[in-house]
Amino acid sequence: MDSFNVKNIRKTILDMAFNGSTVHVGCAFSIVEILAVLYRNHLSFPSNDVNSPIRDYMVLSKGHGVMAQYACLHEKGYLPSEDIQQYFKSGSRLKGLADAHIPGIEATTGSLGHGLSVAVGLALAAKLNKTEQMCYVIVGDGEINEGPIWEAALFAAQFKLDNLIVIVDKNGFQAMGTTDEVMSLGNIEKKFADFEFDAVTLDGHSESELDTAIHAFKINKNDRPKVIVANTVKGKGVSFMENDNIWHYTRLNKETYAAAVAELQGEK
Amino acid sequence: MRAAFSDALVAAAKANPKVLLLTGDHGYALFDAFRKECPQQYINCGIAEQNMVGVAAGLAKAGFIPFVYGLSAFVPIRVLEQIKIDVCYESLKVIFIGDGAGVVYSHLGSSHQSTEDIAALRAIPNINILSPADRFELSNSMAQALASERATYLRMGKADLGDVHPGPTNNSMGDLVPVVVNQQADTLILATGSMVSVANKIASEINNIDLYSVPSIKPINVQGVINACTGRKKIFVLEEHSKYGGLGSCIAEIIAGRVLCEFEIIGINDRFSECCGDYAYLMEEHGLNFSVVQKLFESH
Repeated sequence: MDSFNVKNIRKTILDMAFNGSTVHVGCAFSIVEILAVLYRNHLSFPSNDVNSPIRDYMVLSKGHGVMAQYACLHEKGYLPSEDIQQYFKSGSRLKGLADAHIPGIEATTGSLGHGLSVAVGLALAAKLNKTEQMCYVIVGDGEINEGPIWEAALFAAQFKLDNLIVIVDKNGFQAMGTTDEVMSLGNIEKKFADFEFDAVTLDGHSESELDTAIHAFKINKNDRPKVIVANTVKGKGVSFMENDNIWHYTRLNKETYAAAVAELQGEK
Repeated sequence: MRAAFSDALVAAAKANPKVLLLTGDHGYALFDAFRKECPQQYINCGIAEQNMVGVAAGLAKAGFIPFVYGLSAFVPIRVLEQIKIDVCYESLKVIFIGDGAGVVYSHLGSSHQSTEDIAALRAIPNINILSPADRFELSNSMAQALASERATYLRMGKADLGDVHPGPTNNSMGDLVPVVVNQQADTLILATGSMVSVANKIASEINNIDLYSVPSIKPINVQGVINACTGRKKIFVLEEHSKYGGLGSCIAEIIAGRVLCEFEIIGINDRFSECCGDYAYLMEEHGLNFSVVQKLFESH
């Protein structure tokens, strides 16, 4: 079985969401390929130590997509199956939003607009320590409504954080509607480019495109922070969830769970 | 007091290269020595306090010891959520310096005044709240913050009121520090920050008053408070802060049900400043200057 298979990750997410009776399935599905590529090909944890002081950092600023990261941390061996099975249940340590008390989660980010600043601090620390650590941060497109995102973007450019790669999960939706309906973002790539980032837009579900772009940015030590605007589909992978914003809020029942699993497995 | 702060900060940074100073484009002149002595450890984060605190959290997570400097109206008030989530939830060691606390920026109005900062922070776990009264308490507070494993908010209020203590204080964090304790007086004053100076004048002019400074509001030595308060007829708490949620509330929470006495908080009423003026004027507006407080004591 290949590592970080995206169908397996989505199946783990479905199991967590169904067993825990939770929401945010669509939000997790849109970042599966991004996380799979990062964990499979890029994130370095020396000696397989999730707390290694010279690890790469992976900050999930859109903390409501955390089921996708839990699935990856489980596959890495940092989260036992018992935790996955207990997700969202009373007494569970795995909460519904990213929580830095969990090994492998770098920032507590249910409140949007926090993670990029923390990531910038981590990237700056790596620079000050003169290490080769990379810092990756995934932000939601709706999340960039938040002012601190742009404070952090200014800072990243000012301090020449070329070890910072921001990945915008551009699924086009936020809680109450499309991003255009709520707070139009315009050209996100251009906005970050105007903030002195190297910027690229690609298919956020193409693992090869993601891998190529991340690799190119990693080796480009040009004193500029980087951003990947990843065009994604909210709910990607299960047809009746795709681009339907009710899967921000809706809990799976036996029927929808079974249908989603069947679709995932049928496509194998 | 500001010179003592600068000296302590420079000394800490020279002793440990992991000490960093982050400022939100504030601290003109105050950081001249730091910038000269430790330029690589000085980070001006621009006028972007929320990001500054998040950056500090990331740096602390990676092993640095960030001092985050701002006016107390901004640090901690503007960045309260970042302090709560990015720093305190993870028990990270970040030292916040809130300058000009209370009504120090008396001419500038309520945007630059902070009379709610202690109250706001007291309810957040994993952070010390220190409120020194003079340069000796400031130096000790800096040493305590550096020695602590968790976050600290160091509230720097009116800084030119002179010394309260005759020399260095070496109390542990949380302890009450005696200022005027000649006898088991009927009346006890507990004061913090700038109001220790006012209380000191009161205690020196009116007989039968004991005075302790309370430079650490959180943690606080609960038994020490109980011991100091037990047997008094009347206890006054003086603070340049709202009567809600500050030192007075803290003392009341401790002694309620344990000490039977009259109790009064002399602080800022539940309102914003109405006018501008010099510091003395605004303290009088809020009923916190020496002459107003003196009359209040004399009436008792």
